[in-house]
Amino acid sequence: MTSATFPADPKPPAGWSRYFGFSTDAKVIGIQYIVLAFFYFLVGGFLAMIIRGELITPASDLVDRTVYNGIYTMHGTIMLFLFIFPVLNGLNNLLIPTMIGAPDMAFPRLNTAAFWLVPVFSLLLVSSFFVPGGPAAAGWWSYPPVSIQNPLGHFINGEFLWILAVALSGISSIMGAVNFVTTILRMRAPGMTLFRMPVFCWTALAAQSLQLIGLPALTGGAIMLLMDLSFGTSFYRAEGGGDPVLYQHFFWFYSHPAVYVIILPVFGIFSEIFPVYSRKPLFGYVYVALASFIIVGLGLVVWVHHMFPSGVSQWMRDLFMGTTMLIAVPTGVKVFAWLGTIWGGKLRLTTPMLFCLGGLFNFVFAGITGIMLATVPVDIHVSNTYFVVGHFHYVIYGAAVMGIFAAIYHWFPKFTGRMPYEGLGKLHCLLTFVGANLNFLPMHPLGLMGMPRRVSSYDPEFTFWNVIASLGAFLLGVSIIPFLLNMLSSWIRGPKAGHNPWNAIGLEWLLPSPPPVENFEDEVPTVISRPYGYGSGEPLVEHQEEIERRLELQEATA
Amino acid sequence: MTTSSPRPINRSAVLGVSLWVGVLVLLSHWMGQQAYHWLPVQASNAAPLVDGLFSFETALGTFVFAAVVSVMLWVMVFNRADKYDDSDAVPIEGNTKLEVIWTAIPFVLVMGIAVYAMRVNHTLGVLGPMEHIHAHNSTEIQGGYPGDRLPAEQVEVIARQWSWEFRYPGRNVSATELHLAVDQPVTFRLTSDDVLHGFYIPAFRLKQDVIPGRAIDFSLTPTREGRYRLRDSQFSGTWFAANQADVLVHSQDDYAAWLKQASGQPLQAGLSLASEEFSQRQQQKNPGWATVPPAPPPQVNVPGSPSLPHDG
Amino acid sequence: MTSAIPTPAPAHGHSEHPKHNLTGFIIFLCSESVIFLAFFSGYAILKTSALNWLPAGVDGLEWRTPLLNTVVLLSSSGAIVVAEHFKAKEKLWLFRGFWLLTMAMGAYFLYGQAVEWSGLKFGFTSGTFGGTFYLLTGFHGLHVATGILLMGIMLIKSFIPGNYDGGEQGVQATSLFWHFVDVIWVVLFLLLYVWQA
Repeated sequence: MTSATFPADPKPPAGWSRYFGFSTDAKVIGIQYIVLAFFYFLVGGFLAMIIRGELITPASDLVDRTVYNGIYTMHGTIMLFLFIFPVLNGLNNLLIPTMIGAPDMAFPRLNTAAFWLVPVFSLLLVSSFFVPGGPAAAGWWSYPPVSIQNPLGHFINGEFLWILAVALSGISSIMGAVNFVTTILRMRAPGMTLFRMPVFCWTALAAQSLQLIGLPALTGGAIMLLMDLSFGTSFYRAEGGGDPVLYQHFFWFYSHPAVYVIILPVFGIFSEIFPVYSRKPLFGYVYVALASFIIVGLGLVVWVHHMFPSGVSQWMRDLFMGTTMLIAVPTGVKVFAWLGTIWGGKLRLTTPMLFCLGGLFNFVFAGITGIMLATVPVDIHVSNTYFVVGHFHYVIYGAAVMGIFAAIYHWFPKFTGRMPYEGLGKLHCLLTFVGANLNFLPMHPLGLMGMPRRVSSYDPEFTFWNVIASLGAFLLGVSIIPFLLNMLSSWIRGPKAGHNPWNAIGLEWLLPSPPPVENFEDEVPTVISRPYGYGSGEPLVEHQEEIERRLELQEATA
Repeated sequence: MTTSSPRPINRSAVLGVSLWVGVLVLLSHWMGQQAYHWLPVQASNAAPLVDGLFSFETALGTFVFAAVVSVMLWVMVFNRADKYDDSDAVPIEGNTKLEVIWTAIPFVLVMGIAVYAMRVNHTLGVLGPMEHIHAHNSTEIQGGYPGDRLPAEQVEVIARQWSWEFRYPGRNVSATELHLAVDQPVTFRLTSDDVLHGFYIPAFRLKQDVIPGRAIDFSLTPTREGRYRLRDSQFSGTWFAANQADVLVHSQDDYAAWLKQASGQPLQAGLSLASEEFSQRQQQKNPGWATVPPAPPPQVNVPGSPSLPHDG
Repeated sequence: MTSAIPTPAPAHGHSEHPKHNLTGFIIFLCSESVIFLAFFSGYAILKTSALNWLPAGVDGLEWRTPLLNTVVLLSSSGAIVVAEHFKAKEKLWLFRGFWLLTMAMGAYFLYGQAVEWSGLKFGFTSGTFGGTFYLLTGFHGLHVATGILLMGIMLIKSFIPGNYDGGEQGVQATSLFWHFVDVIWVVLFLLLYVWQA
């Protein structure tokens, strides 16, 4: 509505240079996280193009097998530790303080330190491309004994740098998690009870709690892996009495919940965006909020489903199949709640809404293949095949990354003060949706036919679906071009955004765009009702009309 | 749909929804039948059970997915706001009855699937005892295993970087392709000489990781004659993708004949694509990143052929 | 649920609100305990599944000296409570005295640990027994050393005039950390020295 062009912001925050220094402002750090994450998104995406280029033919003919193994390992590691976690932490930094009306994070300096660890460990990880022997090549799971074989015998090797980078990433994430949890628990606006908190904050709280519980287990396992690799212990070496399966327990105790760390905030994004563009309240707010914590509880006791064929006993298979199936229930509650939200709404199919709808489509598909993977007999057949690769790319790319794009388009005007272009956004959405489905759907038949994951060559009967998948991957590669164009051009010369261009309800929309350094400073409004009051006519905060009038006045006079 | 509902029931809406649900049920049933075609041929006693479960899940999943997508498409087509319509929709905050229903139904559904899957699991009963053994001390020193514990035909499977070796204890036969008799239960004793491997025969629908430091007993019954692929399913390093072997299921007579003929053959180097590629790679100036050298090809009676067409 | 449950007022400005520090620290400790939990469970799994747990020539761990160490470390938790008590009564010098006593007891524990390590017949590469023993005691020892360092910092800061104007979260957090290190040691002692069967 208010997207007409206004000359200049009343309080323009300092210039571009602040994005390149040690800032303690969560809004600067958030953008630093997101921009750095997208840089690594391009790096990881480039590696994916090489992977799909190799797999477009059955023979191992594009790169050497050692190179292929290094590249797929680094693709997974970069996408998870350098793209998706940082980009979500970026959104947390931007959204949590503004949504709860806090001036900043609870520990701004800790926040700075947590961010600046990312360039440090990312350079460490990328430098492993240049050490003798090449980078880690044992997959992002880094299962021993393959991961501790160290063919050249050098002390500094790809795997060594990989473990260090992952451990530092863990430390950075723990620092972030302590900060986010403390901020949400202690710095909410007056009147904002937990059950008046936006669902994004609920899901962030849930996800960050999982980080706090899960990450130390991975760190512990990684310390033992490093000792085995570099100092001759035998925690995971069968020759010395160790047990390679023990590592898998440590790894999955964190890395399964890590999927919820990724997807829970995306559930939060869906829950924020569906009401805005359906003009209806979130259906069953309390259930949606609480379901996040049921997912946390269950998510901590499902990890063995990654190890059904790894040599676990039958009772463990049955038990963990049961817990895994149960996760479908709270997840289903959320999906149905979103359907209930859009049902009978007044839909505006803007770019963020389209991304959310596409993401929901992909997520439901991934949920169904997830149930198939949870059942032991089917899992025994398809585990470690392309079926699993297809499943988690539907979750991570199809649902999570699309949700993240939705969030970026939706909150872009808030934090940059400029409107993104709708046309380019919709093109980006279309290419992403088609590309993702073309890329990841063929992986399911491949897995069912018995094509193992992580292979650098395959039998000729798998060629057809691999060609389709590769074409889809190249389309996904192209899809990023309109996105980057849109971001760059609209940030530089996009139309000025008003404080609430989408007519959305939430504390962040009662701030100018972009918000001043300390958000509401000392005048934090008192929250008097639930979020998502679309159509109810109730104000969210005390003196809402006055606040909005002041903002409009500022925009008009500036 | 109860008559006590305060709102008058729109008959045509009920009819439309019922019709559409009917269409979706038919579609789901059809997809469930299609699911069998996505899988390789059924060559073991496990395959029909696994495929049945998968088909059931496909049908159920199709229904849920199609229903959700139907709602989304309906909303996107019929609940669009007009271009200049700035107003909000009717504020419905929730419905406890609906919440209970859509919590309870998935709960019952997934528990049903879980019970079905557990029963399949226990019918299969593929997993025998898993004993910890001293690494590099697997079969040679212990000298096989007590025959009374394993009534079925016994095959030792030794996984290496990157070759498979199959030994038939008591028959003095070893091979780099796996020969089995149709309808004859067989128990494998899976050991690894180096890293994790995965013993995976897609046509049998069965998979088990091979873990260094453990001997894992694993039983199945092949049910169809033919030539199938065994693939390494747990990443094992550079030539992981090439670590495959053929599985031949013969009639009982052919199997006996093969064993007899094989035991007479002299030991020779078995198949190892990795060793061949490694020696070619050694010639190159700048071959790539570092790799562990492959284990030498095992000495076996029957190397087999690497390039015959397989059934699945 | 719409009734207004009192919520904490937001912090003003960019300064780190001292009350949040303790919250953050408690959250961190909960997280840190999981790493020990991981090591404990790894130890238990490796021990119960091992074919030969003890390396050749080792019959188990001597427990008498470690028991003395344990007593010293546990009593130091009492000393730090006394120190905090005097802090609350604003008897700064008594606080410093008991604080220093706690540090000394911690240091004695580390010394005892070093003596024990030097007398052992196995190294950290002696199978999973040696590996887990040194990993657990070493990682715990690192925490004891960190605790002593933190106490040292708090001791020095206690001489800064007006140090406690903004609250005494530093002292509380350090004390909490020390109790945490103690509890971990009790579990560790039970696992390593008592459960030797």
